Amino acid sequence: MLKNLFDILLGNMPWFAMSLVLGFPLSGEQGLHNRIDDLVWAKAGDVPFAETADDAGFLRRVTLDLSGNIPTAGEVSEFLADKSKGKRKELIDRLIAGDQFAAHWTERFSVMLLERLDQGKVPKGEWVKFLKQTLRKKPLWDVMIRQMIEANGQGVDRPAMKFLGTVDHHAMTENIARLLLGMDLTCAKCHDHPSVNEWKQAHYWGLFAYLNQTKQATHKKEEKVYLVEGLAGKKVEFESVFDLEKMSTGPRLPNGAEVEIPQFEKGEEYEKPAEDGLPAVPKFRPRERLAKDLTAKENELFSRNSVNRIWFLLMGRGLSHPLDQMHGKNSPSHPKLLELLAGEFVSHGFDLKWLLREIMLSETYQRSSRLPEGVTKVEPASYRVTSPKGLTPEQLLRAVLRATGNTKHAKALKVDPEAEKFDRKGYFTGSNVELPPSLAEMEAIFIQTFGRPPGEAEVDFSPGVNKSLFLMNDRLIEHWLKPRAGNLIDRLSKMDAPDAMAKEMYLAVLSRLPEKEEAIWIADYLARNEPRRTAALGDLAWALLNSAEFMFNH
Amino acid sequence: MLGNLGGLVGFGSLLHPSIAKQIEEKQKQVCLIWLDGGISQYESWHPLPESKFAGPFRSIKTSIPGIHFSELLPNTAKIAHKISVIRTMATKDPNHSTGVPRMQRGDPLDRGVDYPYLGSAVAKLLGPAEPELPPYVWIKPGNGGFIHREAGFLDARYGALALGDGRPPVHIHRPDGVTAELDAARNALRQKANERFRAYRNTSDVDAYETSYDMARKLMARKEIFDDEKLDPKDRERYGLHPLGRHVLQARQLLEAGVRFVKVNSYHWDTHGDNFNMSQRLVPQADQPFAALINDLDDRGMLDNTLVVMMSEFGRTPLINSRLGRDHWPDCWSIALAGCGIKRGAIIGDTTKDGAFVNGEGYDVGHLFHTIFSVLGIQSHRQKYRHKGQKLSIANDDCEPIKEVML
Repeated sequence: MLKNLFDILLGNMPWFAMSLVLGFPLSGEQGLHNRIDDLVWAKAGDVPFAETADDAGFLRRVTLDLSGNIPTAGEVSEFLADKSKGKRKELIDRLIAGDQFAAHWTERFSVMLLERLDQGKVPKGEWVKFLKQTLRKKPLWDVMIRQMIEANGQGVDRPAMKFLGTVDHHAMTENIARLLLGMDLTCAKCHDHPSVNEWKQAHYWGLFAYLNQTKQATHKKEEKVYLVEGLAGKKVEFESVFDLEKMSTGPRLPNGAEVEIPQFEKGEEYEKPAEDGLPAVPKFRPRERLAKDLTAKENELFSRNSVNRIWFLLMGRGLSHPLDQMHGKNSPSHPKLLELLAGEFVSHGFDLKWLLREIMLSETYQRSSRLPEGVTKVEPASYRVTSPKGLTPEQLLRAVLRATGNTKHAKALKVDPEAEKFDRKGYFTGSNVELPPSLAEMEAIFIQTFGRPPGEAEVDFSPGVNKSLFLMNDRLIEHWLKPRAGNLIDRLSKMDAPDAMAKEMYLAVLSRLPEKEEAIWIADYLARNEPRRTAALGDLAWALLNSAEFMFNH
Repeated sequence: MLGNLGGLVGFGSLLHPSIAKQIEEKQKQVCLIWLDGGISQYESWHPLPESKFAGPFRSIKTSIPGIHFSELLPNTAKIAHKISVIRTMATKDPNHSTGVPRMQRGDPLDRGVDYPYLGSAVAKLLGPAEPELPPYVWIKPGNGGFIHREAGFLDARYGALALGDGRPPVHIHRPDGVTAELDAARNALRQKANERFRAYRNTSDVDAYETSYDMARKLMARKEIFDDEKLDPKDRERYGLHPLGRHVLQARQLLEAGVRFVKVNSYHWDTHGDNFNMSQRLVPQADQPFAALINDLDDRGMLDNTLVVMMSEFGRTPLINSRLGRDHWPDCWSIALAGCGIKRGAIIGDTTKDGAFVNGEGYDVGHLFHTIFSVLGIQSHRQKYRHKGQKLSIANDDCEPIKEVML
């Protein structure tokens, strides 16, 4: 549709002129971002769409999504002042290349893949470092996942083994199905899925058969735990709790053929003899095979699940939603789009940054969260308007610190190595009246309050009484809203004109300029509270921090 | 408001049946007193002083002719006619690690999911009794907070608001220096700040967020229900100054305020060694507040709508071990229930002469859950949870309510 329009309008123009007119380079075909928009438009039909987000809204969204924080007041002013045409694209490129990208997306993927469980032999810190290093370069999603599945603890990829957790074969089977194939097969452990016809018990056990030889073994000299594979000689047997029929399967992907288990002459099964406490290495290693089979280009379950989850991280809902229910009864909102994204992701070698960039360049991503004129409700799955996403606990902490101008202070905190360990439970019950001694401790407090329980997928934002109580009454929030050299309240209290104060406060907290009435409202409150002006500034900032506009990425 | 309600109830015959049912359901509440580990049935509900397994304590007469309790239950013995005791629990699992979840989840048939604990189940199935109060509060020694684990596969919001050592979460209090006036002013600012954002957006997300603030403020406004400072010193004496006494008294306060489900935990009921000295110390700590609670609820006219259950993970072995202790015994043991839909004075259960085994079939926790749900007006066989497209029974399909103790 768009292409036809181009042909008509620009048909006779040389390509470099078109490029100038449209503000982006044209190659032989349209960029993926245009095709995303075409499909979303086509699906919606002739109905109103929200406008493109304004510059401030776009900046806040992109900064949160790529760097995990709100922009500084200075960044907002600068972006609003920038009149260049390509500034949105440049911003996306700059942030994807920036320092915070790797840190933030390490958090996002880590929460998605580990669900805040800290299990297994790899310390959390090493896993984080590993992901960060990968994400700093040119991360390829299939390679990352392959490393995690085939991890044996050897070499520089050792931290990837954290994904496999405690090497519980059933947990591994369920996690791989759910997180990497979009299939919650938990029910299919004991019988065919009761309501999803195409999910069979054999699918569960086929995956299981790839994994059930994996175990931990300690290297005697290094005193390190590795993941090894035992000899897979036979198929896995299972029976349905309904009819008790005995069945068996070898390793098999839900959409693939069963892998034949090679049979060797006795004495020929191993590639390498046992040594240093590690058992002999079999020639046939099903988990290694799974790493390859699952991440293969041909595996559509994997590519579709991958793009669905990345789309979700940017758009707040999956094209197929819930994320782990990708089956015939739960059709994607935009089947063609899902197919397109999956195909393009594969043909671009699972280049993560490329995919993120293309989605973010789309009009669909850049749409406002304000409803189109005259419309009171829009189905979120139509993408005619952007759905607000809740901030993650980590984003929220960083945003509160930045908004209140306390980032530097919090980062500079040094834990006294002699001091007693901070009593976090006491912090919540009131028996500990200290403030957290470090940024890490503050983060733990925010995660405990705003995160989902460990082991549960962090997918939907759910407001809660305890969350609201925290933002209203927590000592940290109160502390950050007291004037301290250079923080927001300190800066505001040294200003004279209420207009300037309103502007500074809105830029810092809500990343936009105040509207006229809002500036008046601020001035009013300050005038009424003249004798306690600094405290009144704290009240106002408190109100903005507690607003839905602050809590959501919109 | 209460006047209106009284008026409605007065014209009972004019009331639409479904509204009548709602009012009735609204009033149903639960207090679960959980003795973590196992109280010895011989040193409590089923003394059998003549049996070869008896300990050193005497049995005493109760308010029901012919029924005896251990002398360690003097207060409860006086109100035996207000409660039911099941002496033939046969619950299969003797392990701590699995005992607590099995007993508190009611052991539904395995569907490969984590079932909610009883409090979360009731919170889900009946909702809050008072809209501004959390439906499930858990009073326990040690730490508190919001314990979502209890909710199992249900949404985390059905978890327990836990009062560690009886104290509410600290964030229910305004920071020092924020007066009620300032608090109201700040809240008005917050609502004002929301206006512009709310005006042009799909309302559901913003509204849910706003609702959580409304709830939070209502809870803050009623934080006195968590405050045990104002409790009558005479009541404190009656319930006992030990943690279980204080916590059961606090439970009464929460039930009176309208909390749907209150769980009170007491720990260390695990008398593998020195069972008799420990029982002599522990059992009266359960006896005193249990009897006081039943009496108070009865005096206030609340007992007929409030279910009180006092139970453990299992009972204790008939055989006294070499350390003068009793070990875990799930095969035949006792629990007490009272109130809401439960008979008064039904002390039931046929056991072998020495109390070691059930004569015939005993009752498992599945039966108990059917009983609890039934007296709360929940159709325990028909009502289902929905989880990931699966319909899941709320109680073990193979069990039935225990009719012998039900009205």
